Amino acid sequence: MTSEPYLSARLRRAIAEDPRTTELGVRVTVRGDHVLLSGDVACEERRAGLEAVVHEIAPDLQVVDDVRVVSVAEPEGSEELR
Amino acid sequence: MIRIAAVGDVHLGADARGRMRPALEKVGEHADVLLLAGDLTRHGTLDEARVVAEEFADLPVPVVAVLGNHDHHDDKPVEVAKVLTDSGLHVLEGDAVVFRVGDERIGVAGVKGFGGGFAGKCGSNFGEREMKAFVGHTIGIADTLRAALHSIDADVKVALTHYSPVPDTLRGEPPEIYPFLGSYLLAEAIDATGTDLAIHGHAHFGTEHGMTPGGVRVRNVAQPIIRAAYTVYSVEPMVRSAVAG
Repeated sequence: MTSEPYLSARLRRAIAEDPRTTELGVRVTVRGDHVLLSGDVACEERRAGLEAVVHEIAPDLQVVDDVRVVSVAEPEGSEELR
Repeated sequence: MIRIAAVGDVHLGADARGRMRPALEKVGEHADVLLLAGDLTRHGTLDEARVVAEEFADLPVPVVAVLGNHDHHDDKPVEVAKVLTDSGLHVLEGDAVVFRVGDERIGVAGVKGFGGGFAGKCGSNFGEREMKAFVGHTIGIADTLRAALHSIDADVKVALTHYSPVPDTLRGEPPEIYPFLGSYLLAEAIDATGTDLAIHGHAHFGTEHGMTPGGVRVRNVAQPIIRAAYTVYSVEPMVRSAVAG
């Protein structure tokens, strides 16, 4: 069985380097039978891509998906720099 | 007041086409210029660059961009920049642009930047060829940033980079990876040139606010940090730094 730090590193590299994801801004935390994904992505489709890549490498782990789709709303106000 | 809208790390591709457009079409109500702090694409392909070009084309304010590491991944940064330039964006790498806003002028100098780390905790231009190439890349970029900032004659001077000039705006990222997120050499160039504001992206888990050793305000505008299509800074001309004066 692969130890958690190595598995965590493999998953993180896969998420960064796999052309389906290429996400460097997603955190991967392995705890026992669970893998927690957290961070922000640009659209809903990319959340599904993350889970697919993780599942290929670690099919026995249960994915806990805390990844959010980033807001593209208009800003509220501005910061004044004086 | 000059109103500067900014965002980085939008990572557009065909799957995210058009998401930002509604807010972008209203950018003129919020700002006088829009700055894009790199990582405009996911893989740096020309198809993705065309999505970016469509998203930011024909806006009511000038759009100024630098590329990020993602925009280099397909090894076509010059071609990516040309796609954006052909759609009316100003893509900077070691050069600068100046715009007039009413009676005032804003100048923006831009580079991608690179890593290396921060003062006292950084790589050196020494040893293996690969290490010298890594640090040398940053040294060269910082030199071009300094020259570009120095060339600007304007009321408000802004440095636009993808990588961070300071560690302040990286808080929240693991300290072990700071050397891959920015370099103090960028801040040294900013501090030497009377710059008013430094804008960067790249650090998705960092924080928005920081300051260079010379007292220049730094803002991390990575989209996961600002949580909006763009954020806006209103800058009073001739107000430079709290520390350096």
